Parts: sequence; structure tokens; C-alpha cells
Amino acid sequence: MTESAKGISVGCANKIVYVRVVGRGTFQNSQPLRRYAMERMNDGCSEFVVDLANCDGMDSTFLGVLAGIGLRLRQDRSDDKLHVVNVSARNLQLLQTLGLDRLFGIDDTGGNPGNGQPPADTQFQRLPDSDVTTLTTPLNKNTTAELMLDAHDNLMRADQRNAPRFRDLTKFLRQKTEKRKADG
Amino acid sequence: MKDFRFERETRGAVQLVRLSGSLDMYSFPRLETQVNALFQQGQYCIVLDCRELDYIGSAGLGALIGFAKQARQQAGDVKLLNVPDRIYKIIELLGFTKVLEVHSEESSAVDSFAKK
Repeated sequence: MTESAKGISVGCANKIVYVRVVGRGTFQNSQPLRRYAMERMNDGCSEFVVDLANCDGMDSTFLGVLAGIGLRLRQDRSDDKLHVVNVSARNLQLLQTLGLDRLFGIDDTGGNPGNGQPPADTQFQRLPDSDVTTLTTPLNKNTTAELMLDAHDNLMRADQRNAPRFRDLTKFLRQKTEKRKADG
Repeated sequence: MKDFRFERETRGAVQLVRLSGSLDMYSFPRLETQVNALFQQGQYCIVLDCRELDYIGSAGLGALIGFAKQARQQAGDVKLLNVPDRIYKIIELLGFTKVLEVHSEESSAVDSFAKK
């Protein structure tokens, strides 16, 4: 895999959003995915397929952003869902650890050809600054803290067992965010 | 991606834990187990040497705050040593340097416990 191939690519066909993660999914590239996902959901897209075939790993912020998408889809219409396909054993363990295997539809068959595949004419675009190895725009501390807080709140909403795991982090980030807002 | 590893050494009353590889959601429970084992042994003065650490995820960063909080309740602390630039930029960005002590010299990190 070349360095330039890393990042998050997205495409949309028939109101289904396809997401391909190549390399790591982390808090450093979660923001553009969250922004894109919100736009598509506001456009009426009701299903997401996230392909992790070439995903080396995900941190809790990235997983929390995916959880936020899954929670919103479930809230909007109970039959809508986020599907995760081509999940390695390591990534499956991450999803299970956070209880997200119960929120997402998961294909852990190791990548059945054609499973979760978009139509052949689907146009994919790589989200800007989604390759964490070559970020061009410095992360903003305020938006990053808010993103991390929102993502970990999502994880705790998705599964209460995550509350003790992320209590200290969310308390710290919430205090930081509230102080910034109070300071204007 | 390098596997996460740690080695523990003792410096007087201070436990020095050298971390290497990738500290992510997958490997983090191993560090958590190690630190909790130290706490159970009454060891609350801990230095985490991050020189060989390639990566730290957001859950790992958050848990460091939890470790430090627990240690401080017992008059100890968890301090960071030799944090690589790319990781330091992240913890500074998130404001973690205001709640976690970071050192660049082993002697400074170890001796700082005696000054408390």
C-alpha cells in the first residue's frame, strides 16, 4: 500500500453511503468523516457501509464518530443501519470491546467478494486531510476536544459499559470545553 | 504497526515502565493491567517512558489521566518521560500537559517525586 493511498474515501449511490478506510482511523481524521456523514444524513441517506478491508486500526474517537452515525440512523428510523464489512479479527475485537457489534451490522467473514460492494459506477472521493500520516492542516484544539468529547459520549450512549472506561477523559474534555465557552 | 510492549524497572521508590510500539484500544488493556497491578502493590509513583512509543490513541490518552488521578489520591503520580514530538503535540493540543507532568530526562522524572 502506498502512502498516498491512505485515507478515507467516500461515495454515495442510491442513498447508501460507502466509506473505505485505508490505514488508521483516528481522532486526526475523524472530523472530515463526521462532517461528510452529517451532510449525507441531512440529504436523506439512510444507510452506511464502512469497508475496513485495509484499515490498520481505529481509535476510540473514530469509533465514537461511527457510533454517532449509527445512533442517529437508529434514532431517525429504526431499520436504518451502519454496516461494517471486511472486518479483521483485531478490528472486530475493538468493536466488541466497545459494544458496537450490537449497534452496527457486522460482516466478519473476512471479506466475501461482493459483500457490501457499491455499484460499479459509484464515484469515490478521498476526504481532505484524512491520511493521518500527511496531515496538511494543523488540528484545532477546540474542535478536536469537542469532537473527542462528542465521540466518547456516543460510545457511552451506545453501551453503558463504556462509561467507566471513558469517565475521566470525558470529564476532562467537558471541563475544558465548558471553560472555553465560559471564557468566550 | 509494532506490537505494544513494556518493561518495568525500579528506581528507588519509583517504578519506571518503558513503553514501546503502539498503544491503542487493542493493546491498552495490557498497560491498564500492569498499572493496576502496581497500584495493588502500593506502588503509586510511576514514570512511563514513551521514547519507543509509536502511537497512542485517544482512549489511551484519556486513561493516563485516570491513572494519574488514582495515583495522586495515594500521594503518588503518573508522569511521562521522553514523549516523542508527534505524540507530545497531540497531548499538548488537547491540554493534557496541564494535568500530566512530562519530563525529558529520566533523572528529572524520578527525582521529581522526592520534591513533592
